[in-house]
Amino acid sequence: MLKIIIPTIMLMPLTWLSKKNMIWINTTTYSLLISLISLSLLNQPNNNSLNFSLMFFSDPLSAPLLVLTTWLLPLMLMASQHHLSKEPLIRKKLYITMLAMLQTFLIMTFTTTELISFYILFEATLVPTLIIITRWGNQTERLNAGLYFLFYTLVGSLPLLVALISIQNLTGSLNFLLIQYWNQALPDSWSNIFLWLACMMAFMVKMPLYGLHLWLPKAHVEAPIAGSMVLAAILLKLGGYGMLRITMMLNPQTNFMAYPFLMLSLWGMIMTSSICLRQTDLKSLIAYSSVSHMALVIVAVLIQTPWSYMGATALMIAHGLTSSMLFCLANSNYERTHSRTMILARGLQTLLPLMAAWWLLASLTNLALPPSINLIGELFVVMSSFSWSNITIILMGANITITALYSLYMLITTQRGKYTHHINSIKPSFTRENALMALHMTPLLLLSLNPKIILGFTY
Amino acid sequence: MNPLILTIILMTVFLGTMIVMASSHWLMIWIGFEMNLLAIIPILMKKYNPRAMEASTKYFLTQATASMLLMMAIIINLMHSGQWTITKVFNPTASIIMTLALAMKLGLTPFHFWVPEVTQGISLTSGLILLTWQKLAPMSILYQISPSINLNILLTMAVLSILVGGWGGLNQTQLRKIMAYSSIAHMGWMTAILVYNPTLTMLNMLIYIMMTLTMFMLFIHSSSTTTLSLSHTWNKAPLITTLILITLLSMGGLPPLSGFMPKWMIIQELTKNSSIILPTLMAIMALLNLYFYTRLTYSTSLTMFPSTNNMKMKWQFETKQITLLPPLIIASSLLLPLTPMLSILD
Repeated sequence: MLKIIIPTIMLMPLTWLSKKNMIWINTTTYSLLISLISLSLLNQPNNNSLNFSLMFFSDPLSAPLLVLTTWLLPLMLMASQHHLSKEPLIRKKLYITMLAMLQTFLIMTFTTTELISFYILFEATLVPTLIIITRWGNQTERLNAGLYFLFYTLVGSLPLLVALISIQNLTGSLNFLLIQYWNQALPDSWSNIFLWLACMMAFMVKMPLYGLHLWLPKAHVEAPIAGSMVLAAILLKLGGYGMLRITMMLNPQTNFMAYPFLMLSLWGMIMTSSICLRQTDLKSLIAYSSVSHMALVIVAVLIQTPWSYMGATALMIAHGLTSSMLFCLANSNYERTHSRTMILARGLQTLLPLMAAWWLLASLTNLALPPSINLIGELFVVMSSFSWSNITIILMGANITITALYSLYMLITTQRGKYTHHINSIKPSFTRENALMALHMTPLLLLSLNPKIILGFTY
Repeated sequence: MNPLILTIILMTVFLGTMIVMASSHWLMIWIGFEMNLLAIIPILMKKYNPRAMEASTKYFLTQATASMLLMMAIIINLMHSGQWTITKVFNPTASIIMTLALAMKLGLTPFHFWVPEVTQGISLTSGLILLTWQKLAPMSILYQISPSINLNILLTMAVLSILVGGWGGLNQTQLRKIMAYSSIAHMGWMTAILVYNPTLTMLNMLIYIMMTLTMFMLFIHSSSTTTLSLSHTWNKAPLITTLILITLLSMGGLPPLSGFMPKWMIIQELTKNSSIILPTLMAIMALLNLYFYTRLTYSTSLTMFPSTNNMKMKWQFETKQITLLPPLIIASSLLLPLTPMLSILD
């Protein structure tokens, strides 16, 4: 694992020592190389986990997330080149350093064995993200957004620290390799109910669960493009990954403790999808669609069946790529019109036809068109929740319909129709932007040929 | 002040604390406290204005009261145990009075009212000495009598201090008052763990002193005492803004910076001793502290605060020297991986 972590840490000296015209080239190239190394982790010989050392391991759940994380760093760097082009050199280097630091913490979070180390790195990812949102965001609301983001996550996760330490007292070790074998059922008592709550709330806030999602639209909208990409694609998945790991230790309380959260998620996904239909702000629409997709993941994790775990993992990877691509597309609009309002940049198919093709592909995967992996994820989740309780199919079906509605609404508003008269002087699409979209879409389409690598450890 | 006089006075302050920390006779400890108090009064009054006089008077009155209470506790201990050696205090009355006296010296709630007012009235360097060096002596006595302290009183004072330190700092724009409330909150954390594991009190004290030293050095560098004047730093010395950001986030207890280490260790010790609600409450109340630190970073490093063009000229005239800044910065932000080295503090 050090062969991935140390090069990522060394990206920081690379930025500071590069010449002025080479910083983007150097960092993008080397982060692409690092992502190629991480692809080798996907080769898991049997269903056991690959243990690299006492501190790092990778199993079929964390390997796809790790590959997604390392794949996204070059994409983030490519996406940020335009809006940073006018800044002084030191600030550009600081931005790239923040991204590299965040990347290091994320890689270590996904591969660490010890749960307290996971907690420390989980919290550590907050600091670079806060700095990226607050320092490089574009509107005054970013200050509020950063505060909401920081404090929602911290209030949720401080009880997690206490819970992890008390579990360590009870069982003697929090090393993940050991817990798999030592696992015993939690006795039934009030304090164990609070232990369950303390463990899960951190990840519920991070996912986010419907009632605690207030930080997400603010943070996503106010962040610069790399911030939005990493928030949507990876940081939300940290919550999902944490939940998948920690529910292993929390049986059998999950059987009855999960009901309120299941209800909130099932209702919340319909509510947030419906809100998407009424949004005027493009980034806000994509942010709410993230909440809706993640609510599906929460339902899947709380049901705890093998198929639902497969669906949750596939949905996380698929949503990561799709959501990040949608944010890149929205950013390409924003860089031209400096406004996030959807109707200000409509009818773009006439002006930028290749970008319209990417918009089409992104919207189609967002609404879970077969045979994309988004469909595989959603389908597994819908099937397993149907087997858990027949009635949920009504809500799930309604959600799929509304998701299709708002994805097509977004596509039609931005691409079809007559273009407005004030956008006929926008710059044509850069090769960099087309490359960015292609690099998002290609893994998504290729994975639909072999989805078993992202189906997680219950395959 | 005449450098020779200043040296003598600083030596007396130093000697007073050393006498407190090294003595085994209760009377010598009291003498050390009094020496410390009398010698620090001229330092608090370095700038000769009515505000400094008011601050020094308040400090003198509270500390003298505390010393008298300490003397009473010593005498009661003498009456009941017949000896002057410092060991655990066997009589509960004497122990309670001694705890209250030392809490008054440290600035724990409900004896915290003097801390913001005194810190505000004095210069930045004197405030530095007040909030770091002066805490060493009472804390060393608390460490030595820790087996006999009444747990209820100490924990109540600790939790109330964290609350007061968090809430009180919310409405402040004066940097010295912010540092004072931060000191109250940190003292609360330190005394909460005192009965369970005094080594962690010392660890927290060490990290707290390093972070407070760093903050004060950064404030002294730009001679800024209000949030507004600190917000001009991006014009004059942009690197200082990054350092202020890192140190403030470390004070707030965010991983992966070293300010997280004492909080994590304290939560671990408290949980091992089967108190679960208390560390959760303490951790959540520490978030109040984090809020006003983050607000300070917003006006300083994360935004470019509006300033007039005159401010851009100021960098040519500022030549305050800051001592030892690089090691302090490293100590206050990067020490988290060294947590297993705690055992050296035993």
